[in-house]
Amino acid sequence: MSARRSGLQKEVLSLYRRALRIPRTKPAPTRAKWDLMIRYTFRKNAASASPRAVSVIEHLLRTGTRQVSMYEDRSVTDCWVSTEMRQWADTQQQRRTLS
Amino acid sequence: MSLLPRLPVPRFSRHFASSAARALATPVQKPVLNKEFKIYRWNPDEPAKKPTLQSYTIDLNQTGPMILDALIKIKNEIDPTLTFRRSCREGICGSCAMNIDGQNTLACLCRIDRKEGKDSKIYPLPHMYVVKDLVPDLTQFYKQYKSIKPYLQNPNPPADGKEFLQSPEDRKKLDGMYECILCACCSTSCPSYWWNQDEYLGPATLMQAYRWIADSRDSHTAERREVLQNEMSLYRCHTIFNCTRTCPKGLNPAQAIAKIKIELAAE
Repeated sequence: MSARRSGLQKEVLSLYRRALRIPRTKPAPTRAKWDLMIRYTFRKNAASASPRAVSVIEHLLRTGTRQVSMYEDRSVTDCWVSTEMRQWADTQQQRRTLS
Repeated sequence: MSLLPRLPVPRFSRHFASSAARALATPVQKPVLNKEFKIYRWNPDEPAKKPTLQSYTIDLNQTGPMILDALIKIKNEIDPTLTFRRSCREGICGSCAMNIDGQNTLACLCRIDRKEGKDSKIYPLPHMYVVKDLVPDLTQFYKQYKSIKPYLQNPNPPADGKEFLQSPEDRKKLDGMYECILCACCSTSCPSYWWNQDEYLGPATLMQAYRWIADSRDSHTAERREVLQNEMSLYRCHTIFNCTRTCPKGLNPAQAIAKIKIELAAE
């Protein structure tokens, strides 16, 4: 990614940063799960949209913001991690060790 | 009627049925009156696809009189994926607010235009984010309503510990405001609200704000006024009157806003 970012890119990144801060506010034993769930959801949705489809990215941003503000709620303490998410994490791990 | 066999009606016999057709066991077939409905469709599962107008043709003589009846018939019989909010079907819940033939109204209170060869276009409320098809995202609208504290604020309960009393004259001030069902038709018809949704409260919320300012039982009137005393919350209203024209309950939000302006100017 080039150094100069468009407004939309900045918005996406700030949403991701906001989401990545969520695990810290959750109980310690669930933090790894939160982290995995957030990374997986973001990467999955980001890959689903073409970088030129502005309206799609805006839609994903809106739904994402709503989702994140729900996760940020104090009363939400745990989340669920699917086998797909674990597999995805494993492939990420392998890629990192290979390179 | 011409399809029916002519029954000989005895001239002097007593009978209860008012017409010959009613006496028949088989109901009379009404002529087919087809009408086209063009409905806004957008599916969030395929966000890359542009929103489209999909047309449905139904027989009006097999449908109830209101737009909502037609929508329900389409959903039941033609396309179960059509999505819209509805609940009471009698204009008291405010769920089925949508843009019908260019006018924001409740689908359950809007009669179908029976003129032949004329189609009806149905869109979601304008300038709102769409959740799916005819369902708008009203989160912001409800947040604004919450921000005006729409409940009685009075720390001094009455001496007898029962209820706050009010004179009939004071009660009359609330008429025309308490009936609002928060369908969001007025707010979404207001150009000022379209351009400043994040800061301008919009006619529906402002009318409720005035409903609590005007209430003689509420003791936080000054605080309520204070909150509105800025450039955006109230004064983005430029007396366009779209709110009053469109209100499906026949209320007058523009008048309520004008009254707030008078009260604020007098301070």
